[in-house]
Amino acid sequence: MDGGRVRRMWEQMGGRLGKAYLVFVFFLLYAPIVYLIAFSFNAGDTMYAWEGFSLDWYRELLHDERLFVIALNTLVIALASSILATGVGTAGALLIGMSEARRRREALLLLNNVLLVSPDVQIGISFLLLFTLAGIALGEGSVLLAHVAFSVPIVVLMVLPQVEKMPKTLLDAAYDLGASHRDVLFRVILPYITPGILAGFFMALTYSFDDFAVTFFVTGGGFSTLPVEIYSRARRGVSLELNALSALLFLLSFAFAFGYYWIQRREMRPRTEVRR
Amino acid sequence: MRTLVRFFVFVGILLFLAFSARAAVTAKYRAYGENVLHVYNWGDYVDPALLERFQEETGIRVVYETFDSNEEMLAKLRQGGTSYDIAVPSDYAIQRLIREGLLLPIDHSRLPNLRHIDPRFLDLPFDPGNRYSVPYFWGTLGIAYRPDRVPIEIQSWWDLWSPELRGQVLLVDGPREVVGIGLQALGYSLNDSDPAHLEEAKALLDSLVPNVKAIVGDEIRVLLAQDEASVGVIWSGDAKSVLEHNESFEYVIPKEGSNIWFDNFVIPKTARNVEGAYKFIDFFLDPEIAAQNAEYVGFATPNRGAFALLPEEVTSDERFYPPEDVLRRLEVYLDLGRDAVARYNELFLEFKMHRK
Repeated sequence: MDGGRVRRMWEQMGGRLGKAYLVFVFFLLYAPIVYLIAFSFNAGDTMYAWEGFSLDWYRELLHDERLFVIALNTLVIALASSILATGVGTAGALLIGMSEARRRREALLLLNNVLLVSPDVQIGISFLLLFTLAGIALGEGSVLLAHVAFSVPIVVLMVLPQVEKMPKTLLDAAYDLGASHRDVLFRVILPYITPGILAGFFMALTYSFDDFAVTFFVTGGGFSTLPVEIYSRARRGVSLELNALSALLFLLSFAFAFGYYWIQRREMRPRTEVRR
Repeated sequence: MRTLVRFFVFVGILLFLAFSARAAVTAKYRAYGENVLHVYNWGDYVDPALLERFQEETGIRVVYETFDSNEEMLAKLRQGGTSYDIAVPSDYAIQRLIREGLLLPIDHSRLPNLRHIDPRFLDLPFDPGNRYSVPYFWGTLGIAYRPDRVPIEIQSWWDLWSPELRGQVLLVDGPREVVGIGLQALGYSLNDSDPAHLEEAKALLDSLVPNVKAIVGDEIRVLLAQDEASVGVIWSGDAKSVLEHNESFEYVIPKEGSNIWFDNFVIPKTARNVEGAYKFIDFFLDPEIAAQNAEYVGFATPNRGAFALLPEEVTSDERFYPPEDVLRRLEVYLDLGRDAVARYNELFLEFKMHRK
């Protein structure tokens, strides 16, 4: 057999194997979610037996006012903390990215990444101790602070590549053409790194939205978020109401992902055109 | 830049909407102003209708938070960043809270309904004279099992070791409970901290391994009710809910004795609404309220007045209101101090690991 045919056969097989593998992985990822969502429509009250289709659990969910307030809490915290973190993180990424001293830049980046990979429990406990020491009452404020803090490194990580990709000649050109610092920042730098900022915002949003460990430690005073509430309810035996809630959250995550994708694509398009 | 501005204006609007929606839902709470009472209790451990009623009668808004274990509750109270006005720890946890000076003394003259509590549940070793705590519920640890599925009649801890129960026993995930089974089977006290006795108990427990199906938390209730196992070492209140779901079950307190526990109201030192806390405790000491609450929760009430109001079939059920001679065989957990607790935890962990 000649080498070409072997290679083609190998590639064909590899392609098919690759596809099967991909299907397998996605099955593994989605099967539990599908199973969970399917049972949110169960007429019975357990996950053990299917007793017919009903929307009862969704109805019950609608009447659960406490859960509704908690869902809104989660949304408020996620949006507010991601906006703040995006601001802080973008500024940080610009400072790190623009820094001339390589050593200092790398040191800063290292510190940033250490925070990113630190276990959530450790961050949660540290915040708990800090807030206690500083006399900050646990509640919405402490949760917001903690969420901003753990989101900043993510935003930095998402924005930094864009800052580094940005040709320095672009800035020089702008200055040469008489742009002020302000103009350079708002008309050159920020538009250039917009995709990174948006990516950072969405990452922060998802991080905040599903954070359990950190929130668990710093929450109090009657304030709760969905992950914490779901955890405490699940300990008492999982009600299918939680399945219904999870189904809705899954849809929301889908909406987030699509929103991000859509904005990202729109953002990419004008990049190829000439900008005024 | 325009994209960015537009995007964040959009996000800002979303945030504003979520914020106002929440304000609209919680608007009715604003009428209560600062008159809020933070209650820290076990999950599903109060009739929500009674909380509503308390709010209506007193104009005090109740913020109800839950915990799953005494240890979790202790950690939050010690930490002090939260200001709970009421907490409901169990006996040995109360003892520890008292020793660490985290509780306010209770002024008995402000609790007129205290006289309804059965004297048998007052002045217990973990809080002599009830200086810091007021009884809420009590119960036992025992064995729930299905007589129709299990070929033996279970009466003693030793029955858990019988070869007929291979792979059928669920245990609660608690060091003191599980090590306690070994201690009591050997005839020692539940509060024994003699290392040699603990070692002996551990060796005995290791031989229980083939019979153990799993060591689980609160979900033990669901697992038994849904027939995932035929035998479970379980709290009396949880057993009651299993029995209600699945009538084939039986609950026994082993003849060697077992643990009797008490969950009491306490007022942490960090409480801000002490006035409200007294009102809350006194409200739940009222016989009629306590009876309704006991029916909802399923554990045994220490309230004599409430006991009299409960239906005959509840109060005559000796499984949940054991008679005097059984009560005498039951032991309260005492706080054994840091070293012994660590030893218990270690042995329990070894036992869990030994299983695989």
